[in-house]
Amino acid sequence: MRKSWLVFLLSISAYVLAAPVELKVNLRVGNQPLQWGQTYQTPQGQRYQIDLLKFYISEVALVRPDGREVRVDGLALAEFKRDGPTQGVSVMKLDVPAGQYRGLRFNVGVPRELNHLDAGTQQLPLGVNSGMYWAWNPGYIFYRLEGTAALPEGNQKWVIHMGTDAFRIPVRLHDLQTRRVQINIPPGGGGIALNLDVARAFEPGPGGVFVDWRKQSLRQLHGLSPETSLLMSVVYFNMQSAFSLAQ
Amino acid sequence: MRRRPMVWVGLLLGVGFVGWYFWPRSAPPPPVAEPPPSPSSPRILFAERSVPIPEDNPQTPAKVALGRKLFYDTRLSKDNTIACASCHRPEFAFSDGGKPVSTGIFGRKGSRNAPTLTNVGFRRHLFWEGRSPRLELQAVGPLTAHDEMGLEPEELAQRLQAIPEYVQAFQEVFGEPPSLRAVTYAIAAFERTLVSYNSPFDRYQAGDDQALSPAALRGMELFFSEKGDCFHCHVGPDFTDDEPRNTALYTVYKDIGLARATGKDEDVGKFKTPTLRNVALTAPYMHDGSIRTLREVVQHYNRGGEPNLNADALIRPLGLTDQEVDDLVAFLEALTDTSFTTNPALLPPGGQGGAP
Repeated sequence: MRKSWLVFLLSISAYVLAAPVELKVNLRVGNQPLQWGQTYQTPQGQRYQIDLLKFYISEVALVRPDGREVRVDGLALAEFKRDGPTQGVSVMKLDVPAGQYRGLRFNVGVPRELNHLDAGTQQLPLGVNSGMYWAWNPGYIFYRLEGTAALPEGNQKWVIHMGTDAFRIPVRLHDLQTRRVQINIPPGGGGIALNLDVARAFEPGPGGVFVDWRKQSLRQLHGLSPETSLLMSVVYFNMQSAFSLAQ
Repeated sequence: MRRRPMVWVGLLLGVGFVGWYFWPRSAPPPPVAEPPPSPSSPRILFAERSVPIPEDNPQTPAKVALGRKLFYDTRLSKDNTIACASCHRPEFAFSDGGKPVSTGIFGRKGSRNAPTLTNVGFRRHLFWEGRSPRLELQAVGPLTAHDEMGLEPEELAQRLQAIPEYVQAFQEVFGEPPSLRAVTYAIAAFERTLVSYNSPFDRYQAGDDQALSPAALRGMELFFSEKGDCFHCHVGPDFTDDEPRNTALYTVYKDIGLARATGKDEDVGKFKTPTLRNVALTAPYMHDGSIRTLREVVQHYNRGGEPNLNADALIRPLGLTDQEVDDLVAFLEALTDTSFTTNPALLPPGGQGGAP
């Protein structure tokens, strides 16, 4: 009896002592901070700028050293637009017990149970006003990256719109092999900073395939479009390792 | 105690009688054959149908009027050149007359043929692959797509919030400032008024035996016969079952249709059966506008299409003569409703395409 009371009190205290934590994101191109208006090069030498990045983050959980997870409810829409900040941008607020954690996991995307509701009746960050609703398919764009390619015929806009349940991106930033603590949340709360290397999308995939903007059909990577489904898979796998914990 | 066996016998006899009474007889009498339809048989008046209205978007005159203004307003596009009506033109039954694919902002080309909006409020699925469940959500696509109207929700809202007439109208209709969501709700309300049931075929249905030409009458017989076999897919008041089907247009589809959304091999090349109402006004045809004339479409089906593993089971060579093909075309032309394309209530407000 005494033991169950102890567990109850510990649970209550853990809830009461939940610390406010801000999840922040730094956009990177390689290991450099992303700068709007800066021209970068893909590994194949194609020159480009980034104009917009928006993505959903959901099913967040902090992983304790013993492997148990502290799950965080909610879903957030991270938005990065030209002339806005790209470093240390707060994308989600978490309430988690203070303590030490092995790391973090989350998904980039919208959980299946929310992805197929009537978007006309949803509120932000979901709903049609989010700019992420994919009208031809009842579901949302999970990861939306857009930019401009400098091509011989002039600047051309390109987009990568990743969505459909099959392309929800799992991000796992905890060490499965060791119990090494990577995140420390003090009692007063704090922040967890992530780096996101947006250029990972352009890394070549199996057989050397890459996002080649010289081809008009590849300037719009959309879900399961036939000509682009292989490339979408490449981008999808690249994106799984595009996030890292900022040190 | 002694009477119990008698009770059991009685019960058994009762159950036996009930079973005998209700047991189906071995040879039920053959059903009496229905007489074939004749001009004197009762006809259906489709004009009496009413469009289903979603609970969260009740139809009001003010909302319809606002939706009509928005439908014709080019300021809903990034470069102020494209309105909904640019690709859904009233004179072509709200399709994009003569164009295989439409032109969006900055001269960008779309990838699919703009469908007619005739009786669009009755459709259960929207877009060519049928993956949008209702008009309110469908409108988000063209408004935001970068090769159509290309406005971000935020930008669209800011634009409309700078136009006092719109601010007032949205406040009156929705009790809130303009937003993408409210825009789509208003446009959907207007689109539900695009109702067309006054073609020669409808007048014939209403009892005017002279409304259809002899060729159109022969075509109608063929249309609804197993030989012509059009009616299995083009069924109901609007001549569509709203279902996705592969019509064997190609052996290899560049646009994979429904499979783009489902990822399933069996959905490759499936596109929604389009309505045939006003079909004579909506050329060119098929999802990509690749067939120029109605006659060529009928000939495509008459040939049985191209080899395709996903081809609908109903696709096969039909063996229609040239005369029969012409008759079918005559019937399809008799589905044209000119009172729909010239209805002042559906045309640009004030006779102008643009400002509210």
